[in-house]
This record gives sequence, C-alpha cells and structure tokens, in this order.
Amino acid sequence: MLITQLKSKETIEALAQGKTVIINCHGCKEVYFAEHEADELQKDLNGVTQIITTDYICNPDNLKLQLQKHTDVINAADTILVFSCGVGVQTVAAQFEGKKVYSCCDTYPLPGFQGVTPLNVDCGQCGECYLNGTGGICPITACSKSLLNGQCGGAKEGKCEVDKEMECGWERIYRKLEKLNKLDNMKYEAPKVRNYHNPNAEEPII
Amino acid sequence: MRITELFQRGEFVLTAEVGPPKGVELDHLIKDAHEYLKTRVHALNVTDNQSSVMRTGSLATCKVLKDEGLLPIFQITCRDRNRIALQSDVLSAALLGIENLLLLTGDYTTLGDHPQAKPVFDLDSVSLIHAVKRLEEGFDIAGNAVDGAPPKFAKGAVVSPCSDSVDVQLAKMEAKVKAGCEYFQTQGVYEPEKFIKFMEQAKQFGVPVQLGLIIPKNVGMCRYMNANVAGVHVPDEMIKELQADKEKTKAGDTGVEICARLIKECKDYAQGVHIMSLGWENRIPEILDMAGIAPITPVV
Amino acid sequence: MEDYTKFKLKRKEELDAVLAGKDNLFVVACNKCFKELDSFDEPECGLFEEIAKEQGKNIVGSAQVDFLCNEPLTSKSFQGLIPQETENVFVISCGLGIQTIAGMAEIPVYAASDSVVVDGYHGMALTTTLCEACGQCYLNITGGICPVVDCSKSLLNGQCGGAKNGKCEVDKEMDCGWQLIYERLEKQGRLQELLDKPVELRDYSKVNHKFVSEYVKSVREERYEGYYGGIHPTEFKELSEHIAVVPFPDPVNVVIPMSQHAGAPAEPIVTVGQQVKMGQKIAQAAGFISSAIHASVSGTVVAVEPRLHPISGLDSLAIVIQSDGKNTLDESVKPAGDIDTLSADEIIEIVREKGVVGMGGAGFPTAVKLKSPKPIELVLLNGCECEPILTADHQVLLAYADEVIYGLKAMMKASGAPKGVIAIEDNKLDAVELLQAKTADIENIEIVVAKTKYPQGAEKMLIKRVMGKQVPSGGLPMDVGAIVCNVSTAKAVSDAIQLGMPLVERVVTVSGNRMNKPGNYLVKIGTSVKDIVNHCGDVKGDDVTVKIGGPMMGFAQANLNVPMLKCSNGIIAVETTVKEAVECIKCGRCADVCPMELRPLYFTKYALSEDWEGMKTQNTMDCIECGCCEYICSSKIPIVERIKIGKTAIREGK
Repeated sequence: MLITQLKSKETIEALAQGKTVIINCHGCKEVYFAEHEADELQKDLNGVTQIITTDYICNPDNLKLQLQKHTDVINAADTILVFSCGVGVQTVAAQFEGKKVYSCCDTYPLPGFQGVTPLNVDCGQCGECYLNGTGGICPITACSKSLLNGQCGGAKEGKCEVDKEMECGWERIYRKLEKLNKLDNMKYEAPKVRNYHNPNAEEPII
Repeated sequence: MRITELFQRGEFVLTAEVGPPKGVELDHLIKDAHEYLKTRVHALNVTDNQSSVMRTGSLATCKVLKDEGLLPIFQITCRDRNRIALQSDVLSAALLGIENLLLLTGDYTTLGDHPQAKPVFDLDSVSLIHAVKRLEEGFDIAGNAVDGAPPKFAKGAVVSPCSDSVDVQLAKMEAKVKAGCEYFQTQGVYEPEKFIKFMEQAKQFGVPVQLGLIIPKNVGMCRYMNANVAGVHVPDEMIKELQADKEKTKAGDTGVEICARLIKECKDYAQGVHIMSLGWENRIPEILDMAGIAPITPVV
Repeated sequence: MEDYTKFKLKRKEELDAVLAGKDNLFVVACNKCFKELDSFDEPECGLFEEIAKEQGKNIVGSAQVDFLCNEPLTSKSFQGLIPQETENVFVISCGLGIQTIAGMAEIPVYAASDSVVVDGYHGMALTTTLCEACGQCYLNITGGICPVVDCSKSLLNGQCGGAKNGKCEVDKEMDCGWQLIYERLEKQGRLQELLDKPVELRDYSKVNHKFVSEYVKSVREERYEGYYGGIHPTEFKELSEHIAVVPFPDPVNVVIPMSQHAGAPAEPIVTVGQQVKMGQKIAQAAGFISSAIHASVSGTVVAVEPRLHPISGLDSLAIVIQSDGKNTLDESVKPAGDIDTLSADEIIEIVREKGVVGMGGAGFPTAVKLKSPKPIELVLLNGCECEPILTADHQVLLAYADEVIYGLKAMMKASGAPKGVIAIEDNKLDAVELLQAKTADIENIEIVVAKTKYPQGAEKMLIKRVMGKQVPSGGLPMDVGAIVCNVSTAKAVSDAIQLGMPLVERVVTVSGNRMNKPGNYLVKIGTSVKDIVNHCGDVKGDDVTVKIGGPMMGFAQANLNVPMLKCSNGIIAVETTVKEAVECIKCGRCADVCPMELRPLYFTKYALSEDWEGMKTQNTMDCIECGCCEYICSSKIPIVERIKIGKTAIREGK
C-alpha cells in the first residue's frame, strides 16, 4: 500500500508557477495523508486559483467526473499541482497532457496490499515463494539484504546491522524452525539463488 | 600457491589484512607489507570496499601485491556486483594468477560513505562459494561451459564464533562448507572460552579455522565495537586492562600484549591466526614474537 | 480492468516435492484481491486438492477466506477452523496470507502458491499505471511519466541505446519510457528543461526499515484503537464547535409528526381548533414500543393531516400548531420529585410519560430501554458525537453538564446499574475537563476519553471501547449488561424529572462548508428546516446538499419544508457529491473499515442478484448502516443502499 510525504516547501513553492490549481487526493487518507501540513502549505502558495479536494484520482473515469465542474478554472491554469501518490499524479498528467502537472509528494510503500491497515509482514512478490523452507518467515522482506542462504555476519543481539530496531530475519527463521523441530530445512542441499527474469514462467530455468 | 596446501601440510597458517586506499597511491601499503608482513605471515587479505566505503578495487590491489612477490587473498563481497560481474571477477582473478579467495556477503550500503547506493546482494556468501566451485568444475551458474581449463582456488569464508547467536552462525558455517568452503577466518575474538567452545562444535566440519584477531587499540575503540560491530565483544576485564595503564595503552603495548595472549590461549584449538591490524601492520611482528610464533619462510 | 491477483498455484512438480512426507492436510485459500469481482468462487483450492489426493494425501478439511492477510478478521475465523487431526496446513495465497497463517498456527504451514511479480504498485483502480514508491518522485522532470516504472532499466537520465521503433529492447510490446517522456515534454514546450536538468542519481536509502516501520506502527495503533475498523473523515467541527448554544427564535408554527421514534407512530389526542399549552400531551403512545408526543409551543391546533416527513421522504400524519407566541406552560409541567425519593419504576414512568426518546438519531423510547429484562451493570452515555460537522452534543455537555449528570444518575437508578460512564471523544477536551471536574466526587460515575474515530458513538462500538465486550450478533446492549443513551437524552430525562418538561426542544447544529452562518441552536420540535436554514444565512452555491443529521448517516432533503424531530441533531449544507459506481475490484477496504467486522463487498453483488440467503449468511442484519464502507469504497458503490435493500427483503421474510 502507498503513502505519501510532502516534498519540501521550497520545492513546492518553486513548482507553483502562474495560475495554479491544486488537486488533493484523500483516497488513501486512512492509511496516511499529511492533511494538516498540506493545508498549511497550500495557504501560503502564490497564484492558487482553486483547491480541489477529492479522492481516488488514480481512477481516470472518477477523476474526469470529479473535475467536470472545474473545467474552466483548470483550462485557464498554467500549472496543476497534485498532492497524491505517483499513480494519481500520472493519471492527472495523462488527462492533461498539454499542461504542466507536478507532483508535490514523494510516494513510499507500506507492507500490505488490501485494506487501509499496513501489516507487520511484507511480501516481496518474488514469484518463487521461499516460505516453505523458512517456517513461514519471508527471507526477502525480513532480511535487509534479502539473503536466501542464512544469516550474514552482521547481526548483533539478534538485531540487523542495518537497523538496530529490526530483528535479524534469519535469526527469526532459525528460531522458528527450531521451535517447529524443522531445523533440517536449513540443511544445505543446493544454494538458493533468485530468478529475476521470469520466476512465474511455467518452465523452470535451472 | 593456494593456502589450502599450507593447511594440508599441517602448517599453522598466518594471515594479515590490508585495505586499499581511496586512491591509486599504493606505495605506503606495499612498503608496510614488505617491511612487516612478508616474513611474518603467509598471505595477505585485501579488503573489498570494506564497511561499504568505496576504495580502489581488491582485485587490482591483489595483482599489485602479487607482482611485489607477496601472496594475496582476494576478498569478494556480494554487495556491489551481481552474479555476472562476480563470476567475471573470479575468472579475472584466475587470469591474473590470484588463487586465494575470501567470499563474503558484505556489509550493507548504508554503513559506508555512499549510503544512497543500490545494494545488490544478487548472491550471498553461500551461493558465491557455490559459484566459484562450479567454475572450478568448468561451468558458470547458468550452466554454460567455461572455455578452456577451469580455474582452481582456495575458497575461504568468515564465521563469528563469539556471536550472540552462535548456533545460527554454525548452521551457516555448515552450509558454506557444503557449498565448498575450504577454510575459515573468524571475526575478531576477545573471549577464548567462547572460541574454544565454538571450535568444539565446528571441528565436525573438518575444515581449518583461523583465529581472527583485531588489535584493541584503545578503550574507545572497544566500546564502539561492543555497541556497533556484530560478532565482536570485548569483555569488561579487558577494557579495564586497557584503562589501567593509559600510557602503555596509548603506546599500543597493551593491545599488542592482549593479542599475543589471546593467540597463546587459543592456538591449540585453531589451525592458524588472522590478524586485522587496522593500520597497525607494524605491530604484527611484535605480537607474533610475544605469542611465540617464529618468522616464516615466505611461500612465494 | 487489469487483474492484479497477487498469487498463482505453484507448479505441479514443486507441489509434489513440498507434499512429500506430509499428510493430514488442511487447505486454506484466499479469495484473492485486486481483480474485478465477477464471481465469489475464486481460488485454486480444488486444483491443489486434486494434486494432493493424487499423492494419496488425506485432506482433513479446507476453507476459503476473504482477505486472508487481514489479521484481526482471519484470526477470529481461524479459531476452531483447523480440526484436531491436522498435521500440516497448506495455504494458497500471496506471501502475506501465508505469513499471517504461519504466525497464527502452532503446526507447520506451507505455501502452495507463489506470488505474482509486478514491478511497482498499482493504484486503487485497476489501470496499467504503476508507481514504484521510490520516495523521490521524478514525475516533475518527466512531464508526469514515471521513468522508474516505465523504463525497464529505470534510467533517470534519458534513453539508452536499445530502443527500436519506439519499443523497449527488453519487451517489444512495451513503449520506450524515455521516448514517451520526450514526446510529452515536447508537447508542453519543455524540451530545454530536459536538456538542462542536472544528472539524477537514485537514493536507495530513502525507503528503509526505520521509516517504514515507524509509519506501520503509528497507523496500526490508530486504526485498531478502541474497536476494529472505523474511519477518520475530516471533521469540520471548527465551523461551529466554539459557538455557544442560543435559543432559536420562536417559530410561528410547528409541524409535529406522529412518527419521531422507533416503533408505532403516536396517536393524536387533540383535534383541529383545540387550544394547547407548551408541554401538553398531544399524542399518546400506540403500543409497547412507541412514545407520547407533546406540544412545543402554546397555541391552536390548525391541522391534523399528512405532511412531508424528513426521514421517510413521504407524507405521514402530523399535528400542526399555530403558536400564540406566549409559550404558556401546561399544568403538567412541574417538578416530579427527586431521584433519591423516586423509585426506579416511578422514574421510568416519568420518562415514558414525558415522551423521552433516544436523541442520538434512532429515537428508541428511553423508558422501554430503562426497563430492561436483563440485569444492567452500566449506563453508558454517548458524548462522542462521532459524526463530522455536528457539535450539538458537545455544546450540551458544555452548557448542560449538571443536567446530563443528573439524567445519568436517574437512569442508573431506574435500571439498577451500579456504574455510569460518559464517553467523550478526545476532540472535545474542554467538555472532558468540565465533566471530569463535575464528576470527580461521584464515585460510581466515570468519564472515559475515547480516541476520535468514526463511528465511536455507535452503541456497539462504545461497549467495545468502554467495557471491552462484544455484543453478540443479533443481540442488544442489554445482553452484555449495558444501556447506551445519548447525552442529550440524559438532559431530557433530567428536564422531565426536575422541571416536568417533556421532550419538546433540543440542541441542533446548523453547519457545513456551504452554510453561510453556522451555529448551535436550541430548537423547538416541529420548527421548519427551511426557516432554520434561512436564519443561518442560507446556503452558498448551487451544488449543495442539505442533510438532517451528519454527513455519514444523515438524510438528504430535496425539500426543506420539513420539520425538526426529537432525534434530529443537525442540519448541514455540504457540497453535493458526484460519483459513478463501477464494478467492485476486491480492494478489501470495506472489510478493513467495517466496525461490525462484516464483508460489505458481498452486499454489492447480493443486492443486485437478489440473493437474500447470501445476505443472511453474510450477517447483513448486523450492519449498523454507519456508512464507513461506502465512504472508503474505491469503486464508489452505494453499498448502504444495497444493504438496506437486503435488510428490507429479509425483514419481509423473503
């Protein structure tokens, strides 16, 4: 699922050129949207002719419908500033190909696909699920380096070298297999190596 | 010369570590190597962008050292290159007559001076060892045959005997051995009991292990390592030892003494020693003397 | 629509290998997400079972679950799902579902599926537009085409040498992203910008564990606060929350409908031409669940006839009184006694006689509620006012705190409850402070501050939050020993006892972005909505919807010539929403926000196909019609409308 963070004030101020229309997308506000900060920032911008707050602008038909009554002011605008995720910005840009459409946010991923509540587990969408060998803990997402063959030497007190708040994924896997009495899973038969080309293909590659 | 031969001969194999500079002036490195290391250690690790800090390549530096009549160990990490580049570099090493490898996963990018770089980790230590083994068998890991005679290496890896999850480390060690690893260098040890206990478990794999040592230069360094470096723990008594005589520690003598003592306590359980001197290459002869290890006849 | 299903069954050879040595399997399959909802029969359960049976495995059982990765819902259905003899669980789902089950099960869990690789994230409509969520949006230099997603190599500094006929070297069906970017910028006259731009380097440290996990933690904490589900719509309470209550100017006449409460409409006991006084009973209760109705002004009854009703939208019987402007009180309006001297039954009788009904919107006769057939341990007052825009209850707490507390005490005595709680959302800290001070010395009354989340004020959500209990499906608050009432109702109870005044007026918020002069008014029952809106400066703009109630559950009024009722807590003027429903895309958001833990996506289809059995199976009757599902629906489906169709059909016994 996607969340957005506002770009810096200086960046956004520089983007507001001439007559500016602002489009806020609240479609994923339940996950996160810096509503208050966006409002404050938009108050101070020059040349704003209209602020449109709507939702699900990533749906091109819905976007068209929501913008219908603002046709005149949008046509007259020099710039359209979009406060939404990258999908929303691209959808607006595609609908107004001749206009300058700018993104005022950076988009970040949170774990989880459906709903509005991010999860504590993530799926790397690798196409070659490794969960069978790891007691149900994903090595692609639970390990910072996405290693497949066991712990690196960087774990300290069970925490990852990259972020001390993060547990070492491979240590968690080891402990889980220990608990399930399945440490045999970690016995080496052949090294596990990612297939970045077409893991979902019908024929195996190696 | 592959250092596996030395292990096979029953030699107590000594190695040290040098880090290439962030530049192309190697004179200092070469000079120190000749002066302090050539007659005291069998081979020299050359680090690969250690701690994710960009430096001159390990492969090129290994070649320079080889031309200087030294025996380099080419350290390869998986952080910066994908499987194509890694196999290519391994073949390049063979081309340049470099036969000793240390195969590591590598530190994460954010720890170094290019934190924004894209971390690769297409392979890890285990799959890299496997890839080298396959090349030795005459194939790359995509199954294509190598042209001409396949290369041959001494394949090494790292393990952390004093890690707080030593059982997990042992499991990884086993995987590395099964993939084809032929020798190990350990992370810095400061607790002989832990090392000895570890070796009791590790000896079942039947693969030589070198005791890894990091010269404890001062209290600050030890505290830093305790807080930040995985698999390293300097016990309180040792820190107190460094604090006891400030002048002595400043002169580097306490650190040297500690290293020598650790060698003496552990050497019966190890098949060699690997000293990470972090710039104090000039103290290595002293450490080995104090530990009762005589100079060696250079193998090249 | 694109199909963004997240997984597919593993290849047979791989499944055979995973199955080796494992028996007594339980198979869990996820009903998939992010594809058009064309049928409820989705997963490859059947296919996997065939493969397992071929291997001679014993399948102990199987289950198909919606949104397997929705932990709270899945863990609830999981209990009791897996039979004792199960040795291994096989899961057909994306990695999230498998990990969710693996985290819950004590026995080994295996993946029978692989995730599907997609580079980038899709949006909430199944289009081909993707976002890589790189945390450093490049769209501003590319005219709105993403170089990370639309270029196979994710190049940032222009085209590589591989494009042929405008197609990418990696995938000949794919346009060269940088060519598209070039053409777009050319169209906008921005080519020089492209040539002048500095070299771009991606920062891969932007998206990191610390950043992500902090957001995950804070969002999860907020979402699971108090009760499952719910939403946080923008409140707009600042439009009226600081405006003190003032009496609305006396109406010239009042139209008092006979149906202002749950149950049977009241029966008039006055006739045209009769003089009535303020507080005089003008209609009697018509059954066990019904209520008396009283005159809100003194004057003459000028009509007893059908008038437009604001909730039904139809004409129904009403009493119209022309005010004489004097507000002469009826003789029956006199203090009834004190809580200490009145018995429980006497209090209930006063509440019944004075026509007190639930003022939070449902209008349930309070006397019936208080005379509970089950033991009551707690009287819970709703001071949350979770609907956006409305501030009436807030003002009642500030202006009539003593009466609210008195009313609560009376209700506690009437029902025999040893404890009382007033729950207030944390967006009304002034009310919290005031009530806390006033109840500091009252041992058995507590003020609970609830985190603001719609619909916290719904009785089942309040019970969950305050008592930690769940009202059983189809049940009522009394089933868990609670009575829930609105704070305005408590004030009405206090007025009934202390003043002898029946329910003839109430505090109403008149507000909304399109109301010119918002305010909070003490309004007489039967006052014309049109008059009130006019008094508040009328509405601004043409695209305005006026609702009675709040934006979530209020009733839109096409005709403002309707009267204010006992349970009307607000009149709001908001921008008319424009929306067009498309097919459900199984995004799972409705199931994520439903406070009753239902799966509203089923209702979207069942209503259209008139599958009333299906509706029953999905517990439609448990729906509280809060509108969270409709609010969040990315396909803009009028879900509440469809639920109501189902409920009506079920009530009619279809």
